[in-house]
Amino acid sequence: MAVAAENGRLRLAVVGVVVLSLFSALFARLWYLQVLDSRSFVAAATTNQVRLVYEDAPRGRILDRNGNVLVDNRRTQAITVSRHDLERLKNAEEVKARLSALLAISRDELDKRIADVRYSQYKPIPVAEDVSEETYTYVKEHQRDFPAVDATIVSQRTYPNGDLAAHLLGYVGEINDSELVNRKKDGYRLGDSIGKSGAELVFERDLRGSPGVTKLQVNSAGEVVKGEPLAVVAAQPGKDVTLTVDLNVQKLAEDSLKQGLEAARSAVDRNDKKHFLAPAGSTVVLDPRDGAVIAMASYPTYNPGDFINGIKPDVFAALSDPASHFPLNNRALTGLYAPGSTFKLVTAVAAIERGMVAANTTITDTGVYNLKGCKGERCTFRNAGGQSYGRVNLTRAITVSSDVYFYGLGARFWQERGQYGNGIQETARKFGFASKTGIALSGDKAGVIPDPEWKKSFCKNVRCVDDRWFTGDNINMAIGQGDVVVTPLQLANAYATFGNGGTHYAPRIGAAEPPKVLSTVEMTPAMRQPILTGLKQAISKDDGTAYGAFLGYPNSALPVAGKTGTAQVRGKQDTAVFAAFAPADNPQYAVSVVMEEAGFGGASAAPVARRIFAGLAGQPITPIQLGTGVD
Amino acid sequence: MAISSPANIGRGNAASAWRHVDLSLVVTTLLLAAFGLLMIYSATRSRLDDAGLDPQYYLQRQALFVTIGLGVMLVAALVDYRVFRDFAPIIYAGTVGALVLVLALGSVHKGQQAAFDVGPFQLQPSEFAKVSLIVCLAAYASSIRTEVDGRKLLVILGLAGLPMGLIYLQPDLGTSLVFAAILLGMLLISGVKARFLVALLALAVVGMVAVVHFGVLKDYQYKRLTSFLDPQADTTRSAYNLAQSKTAIGSGGITGKGLFKGTQTNLSYVPEQHTDFIFTAVGEQLGLAGSVALLALFAVIAWRTWRAAALAKDPAGTLVCVGVLAMLTFQIFENVGMTMGIMPITGIPLPLLSYGGSSTLATFAAIGLVLNVHMRRFT
Repeated sequence: MAVAAENGRLRLAVVGVVVLSLFSALFARLWYLQVLDSRSFVAAATTNQVRLVYEDAPRGRILDRNGNVLVDNRRTQAITVSRHDLERLKNAEEVKARLSALLAISRDELDKRIADVRYSQYKPIPVAEDVSEETYTYVKEHQRDFPAVDATIVSQRTYPNGDLAAHLLGYVGEINDSELVNRKKDGYRLGDSIGKSGAELVFERDLRGSPGVTKLQVNSAGEVVKGEPLAVVAAQPGKDVTLTVDLNVQKLAEDSLKQGLEAARSAVDRNDKKHFLAPAGSTVVLDPRDGAVIAMASYPTYNPGDFINGIKPDVFAALSDPASHFPLNNRALTGLYAPGSTFKLVTAVAAIERGMVAANTTITDTGVYNLKGCKGERCTFRNAGGQSYGRVNLTRAITVSSDVYFYGLGARFWQERGQYGNGIQETARKFGFASKTGIALSGDKAGVIPDPEWKKSFCKNVRCVDDRWFTGDNINMAIGQGDVVVTPLQLANAYATFGNGGTHYAPRIGAAEPPKVLSTVEMTPAMRQPILTGLKQAISKDDGTAYGAFLGYPNSALPVAGKTGTAQVRGKQDTAVFAAFAPADNPQYAVSVVMEEAGFGGASAAPVARRIFAGLAGQPITPIQLGTGVD
Repeated sequence: MAISSPANIGRGNAASAWRHVDLSLVVTTLLLAAFGLLMIYSATRSRLDDAGLDPQYYLQRQALFVTIGLGVMLVAALVDYRVFRDFAPIIYAGTVGALVLVLALGSVHKGQQAAFDVGPFQLQPSEFAKVSLIVCLAAYASSIRTEVDGRKLLVILGLAGLPMGLIYLQPDLGTSLVFAAILLGMLLISGVKARFLVALLALAVVGMVAVVHFGVLKDYQYKRLTSFLDPQADTTRSAYNLAQSKTAIGSGGITGKGLFKGTQTNLSYVPEQHTDFIFTAVGEQLGLAGSVALLALFAVIAWRTWRAAALAKDPAGTLVCVGVLAMLTFQIFENVGMTMGIMPITGIPLPLLSYGGSSTLATFAAIGLVLNVHMRRFT
């Protein structure tokens, strides 16, 4: 070899240095991975090997105030298919064939069930429910043969009373994207069920419970490793929730409302000579002593059972069709109606507490009120029905529902506004109008009590004849017309407030919610008594507007004080309204009834309330007969 | 030493040669082989058990390979390396013949036609070709009495290039790269002029660029080779493998998760774990402590081999030792480096650690050659 020894040594040294540096590089990299950056790799290794399996907690039941079950759960053994996983299987057809044989259903039927559009791809689809123990166990034990298939306990809502109290109870559905964003921190996941409306939504936190989680160790193929799971957190069933609602009163209220609407449809409107349409309505029963909702009915209604496992598109389309009058809406909270003469309670309280009138102040009701210093048809206001009532004081004005008397009060409130301010509006607000009631249910509307500022801003968006406030506006407001709109719940709560002596509670539906006082209407007995008497006589005196409706009612068993109302709605038949409380001197119930396009309150709405009061009094319930009142 | 010792075959006095055997190299080799057995067992037992197979299946087979390997090492040490020079043409022809034959008759595993099925075993001629190339290059280079000129350099390149090309056709990119490493190491030491070496390196770089650019590499090879450069950009299987491999090693931390307690190892997250990715089992279960211990054992082998090269009696001995050193160092660096994401992923076994008969026997043979040169440094 010709290479000099010296050169050879040098080259060997170079080899040695190269080898040494390569080993050093490996050591440096090891140090980086196992010391400097180890923590992130530990985390990655942990997530690698763990799979979380969730089990839905059975949802809590919903009970009425006496412990009767309103919403229950059914636990059933089901075979479910994950569409998401199935679509990713190479042997999906094989698995489906196996499954259809096991469940003894045809392939077409199985495909149809898997394709059910009610389920999102995140929610396992129950293709068979109430399966036998054998089938259930077989699928559990042969997971290798049934990828994407699972045997699970499915918990489903059941409604022992059918569609009773549907709006109050609400329904449950699969969580949507926006709900997921809002609730992510509460541990909700795609495909979870969540209360969508009513009590199901209000008490979601209690009802839901917490899902069970099993931590399983899985290998790289995603197969569960034999042996004990890494951790098991058992599902915590949701808590039962007790409502203030009374199942029997709710039934009574719903039946009465439905019958009342049917009865109204048989009558003919004397204005347009057509049968009343009476398509919809609402009735509310409150406890004036604490604001508890004893019953709340809205017609038309829907069946919450339709929403189990997602609602079928055609059913939902029918529920959303305007021709079906929006059965999903809870009109007790969301329906805005002119209260008509039932609003005279507010005008009366406003006038007497400000000393504008005394109990014995009388006027002569000739059936017509002419606004002084004003000429033309727009300056003349008439009683509904055109009657004249002669000399009327406050009590009688309420009993017979003298519009002329209240026109006068309305006019004076505006003309003497220097002294009385916006008295009607102020009192109306104390009774809870023009603001949300504070009930926990969602969708609660505030309604409108108009005043000069309101009109001005309202007319910026809507074409008005004039955006100024006139005496006529006050006159209309005084009898619950014009722009006044209220919800049936607000109306019941206003009468509850008057009935209990002036304490305005927030209506509540949860038995565990403490009563909450929102405001107080200051009334001395001397101020309150003439109005209360007027309300009592509307029922009991032979010229009272609800006398006919309550004819034969056992008033001594449960004496009622109430007021009829008939509200004109442009382009529609009149809204029938009635609001009352009983027993009159120490009320336990306050009731409002509002019926769309159903005529006089005394004729259509009062009989509904009468039937409810009769039931509450423990008296035999008779079929609804239309009353004779003309307001 | 008995006179009847079978070591009389060689030219030198074998009986006296055994007195100079490098015991530390022997002991280190045995320690590494034992380390390998333990790691192969830890990497395969739970997987085999889950499949209802004998959890010691791979352990027992590797133990057999090691036992045979010890015999091979003995034989490789026994026959005076200077005898090999006379047989070099036959060895070379046999090697090339086997490599041609395997392309025609070999069984196909995972897309490679690299092995003969011999009963329950697979014989991979490419593993043995590495050792025979070392022997043959040493034989040829040491026979050159004059300066290595261009023509002789071409002969050397040709000698290495033929088996290398045949192996690339299998296709086994990794093993052909080992050949390149062996060639480079031996050229450096064979007295080739520095300017030739520089020219060769430049040519290699140009060649590599060309290879990458003109699509000589198969798509998966290219991806595997480059995924380590930017693991985030690649979502293919190879990037997944690399991520799992790094996760296994990194999650081992300083002390490791404990033998048989590696989740990445036990739950088969790392692919080829008892063969090419055996280092991940070490890193995860034994941590930095175990990994450094393993690298230290390899370093001892490298040091003893380098020392044998320096002490060798003749250039042939030096060339053999440097060839072995280049082979082992490249395999260790490439294999361990790939599991840690600093080298591209190619299928190269970790000497003495990875499961595999041919690789184990070839490594023992190579170390036997080093022992051979070392113990005959005085004769």
